[in-house]
Parts: sequence; C-alpha cells; structure tokens
Amino acid sequence: MINEIEIIALIEPLQADVLQRWIDLGWVLPNHDGPSMHFDSTDVARVRLICELHYDLRIEEDSLSLVLSLMDQLYAARRVLATFASAVEAQPEDVRARIACLVKTK
Amino acid sequence: MADPYQILGVRREAGADEIRKAYRGLAKKTHPDLHPDDKAAEVRFKEIASAYAIVGDEAKRALFDSGKIDGSGAELKPSPDREFYRQHAEAEPGVKYEQYWRGSENGQEDDLFAELFGRRTTVKMRGSDLSYTLAVTFLEAVNGAKKRVVMGDGKTLDLSIPPGLVDQQILRLRGQGQAGAGGEKPGDALVEIHVEPHPLFQRNGNDILSILAITLGEALAGAKVPAETVTGTINVTVPKGSNTGTKLRLRGKGVVARDAKGDHFVELKVVLPDKPDDAFVKSVKEWESMHPYDPR
Repeated sequence: MINEIEIIALIEPLQADVLQRWIDLGWVLPNHDGPSMHFDSTDVARVRLICELHYDLRIEEDSLSLVLSLMDQLYAARRVLATFASAVEAQPEDVRARIACLVKTK
Repeated sequence: MADPYQILGVRREAGADEIRKAYRGLAKKTHPDLHPDDKAAEVRFKEIASAYAIVGDEAKRALFDSGKIDGSGAELKPSPDREFYRQHAEAEPGVKYEQYWRGSENGQEDDLFAELFGRRTTVKMRGSDLSYTLAVTFLEAVNGAKKRVVMGDGKTLDLSIPPGLVDQQILRLRGQGQAGAGGEKPGDALVEIHVEPHPLFQRNGNDILSILAITLGEALAGAKVPAETVTGTINVTVPKGSNTGTKLRLRGKGVVARDAKGDHFVELKVVLPDKPDDAFVKSVKEWESMHPYDPR
C-alpha cells in the first residue's frame, strides 16, 4: 500500500490533479482512510497502465473510458473462464473429454 | 539487446515524431494488458518500451548514437520486472474494477458466471411429453365425453374427448405432461385412444351400422319398432314387405361432430319364432307350395 504522494512520485508522468480526476471518474479505486488514500499493487499497476494508454498511446480520456470499460469486461470474462477451466480440470477424465468434444464442435 | 531502431522499425535518422508514432503503433499491438492471451506480448512490449526509452529520449538517443550506452543499459526507464495490470486483473483484486462499470455497489454476482453456472443448476426446459393409451367406450368416442382418469403412473388426466373420435387417434392434452423446469412450460400428455367395440353398433366413417331384428309379421306387414341408436332409442318405421338385409337409413343419427353428420343404417333381420308351432309350420308350407320361390 502506498499513498497519493508515493504513487505520483513512482509513476513518472502522473500529476496529482490528473490522478484525482481519474479517481473521480472511477478509473482508479484506492482505499480511502479519512482524507488519505491507499493504493495497493493492483491500483498502482492500473494507474501505470492508464498512464501508458493516455500519455504514450495518446488515447484521449473520452475514448479511454470506453477502452477501460471493455478491458475490465474482458478481464471479467477471463476470470470466469479461468474459474470454469479449473472446475473442468477437477472433473474425471471422461467428463473432461466430453466437454472438450463439445467445445471443439462449437 | 538488438538495435532499438530496428526494434521500432525506424531509420537511424528518423525524427522524434516518426519514432513516437512507430512506438505507439507497436505498443498498441503488444501491450500485454490489451492482449492478455498473447504470452509473447510482454517480452515483445518490454523490448519495444526499452528501445523507445532510448531513442524516444533525446539525451539517451544521443548517448546511444555516440556509442556511450548500449541497448541493455541499466538506465532504461521501464523496470524489467515491472508488473502489468493483467497479472492483477486476472487475480482476485481485479474484481473491484470489473464491478465498477456495472454501476452496482452490491457486489452482484458476475453476470457471465451466473449465466454459465445457472445453466448447470437451474435447467430451463419445457417439460417432456408423456404418452399414454386409454380405452374409451364406443359411445364415448362417438358422442364425445369429459373424463377424469388416473393413469397407471398415478397421473390424473382431464380429458375432453371430442365427438367422432376414431380408434387410435392421439389426443394432445396441453400442459398435462411432465412439469417444466426453471419456469418453463410443462409438456403435453399424448393419449392414444383405443375405442372399445360395441355389441350392437359398428362404425363406418361417420355412419353407424346396426342390425335390427324384426318378426316375420313386422317384416311382412310393416311396423313401428323401437331401435337403439347412439343417442338413444327411437321408433323406426319398418316398411311393409321388408326383408332380411333391408337397410333403413336414419338420417343424422350417426356420428354428429363439428364437421360431420353421419347416418345410422339399420339392417333388418327377420327372425322366426323360437319354437314355431305345428300350425304355423303347416300354414307356411301350404303357402309355399302355392307360391314357390327361390331365395338363392
């Protein structure tokens, strides 16, 4: 967990007002403890990604909202898929074979 | 590390804008967080980022161009062991961001998960059809009937037998089959009807055939005799001089259904008395000798 000052120092192009706007937009969701904010490693990685998308890849904030929404949905779907993959993994061999067969014919 | 110009696909003398553009194009294609399925993306992206860290920065580019640093310099910007967002997003902590866009703070079950999982637990399926056979009487089939029957499997069926039903016809009783699952409709009961024969009546399409026994006198002199029909007993006029095999048509007394109006054909059968007495036999013999005839 790092605070607001630390994350701004850590991620080069990040400015306090920009970070605050992203938090207001819901793009970054740090834990709030009274007036101070705490960013876990997921938040930091996400801020770094948003910085890259915005500053390096020049995705404007309007489009960025859509990109992030789609990206989060993609990861949500992947998480579900992973859950199912492990559920399938736990099945006996014949069940797995049948599922594999069904998936292939789709 | 290979030549950063080569990695970015630009000439050595490329301008800063050209280099930035090249980097942006490659980064979009390889950013690991945007390509979670591409295992090689991370390596490739790091390579591109490292290359851009050198030639995208005027000072470092000058140092590289003059041979003072090489491509593997420790002063490169992106730390080689940096974490990408995808590592987090695919683990438990990523959940809070997934849920943000749903606009619900109640931490609702993942829709996709619920949908997939739901399919396994609450199957949505129309109930299956159940087949039965049921015997009904001849008159029930002709006239129609409403019945409540308990079938062999304990299932109670409410049947409405339409008038004019034929043997082996299948009645579909909507919603009286197996119950549906997950809010879906129940199946139907398919009831094959077997019509029992009747001692008196036979059926030919919508017509009813029966045999009516009459006495010799009724046949010879004509008479009004009671006859059974499918709707009850009526008085039939036996014409004078009728014989065995004479057919009488009783209009509209056959199968009367929605689009059918059959007739009842009564075939007369002249029946001699059980124990004709001598006087009767003698008079007939006498009559015959006077009026011989050949019925064959």
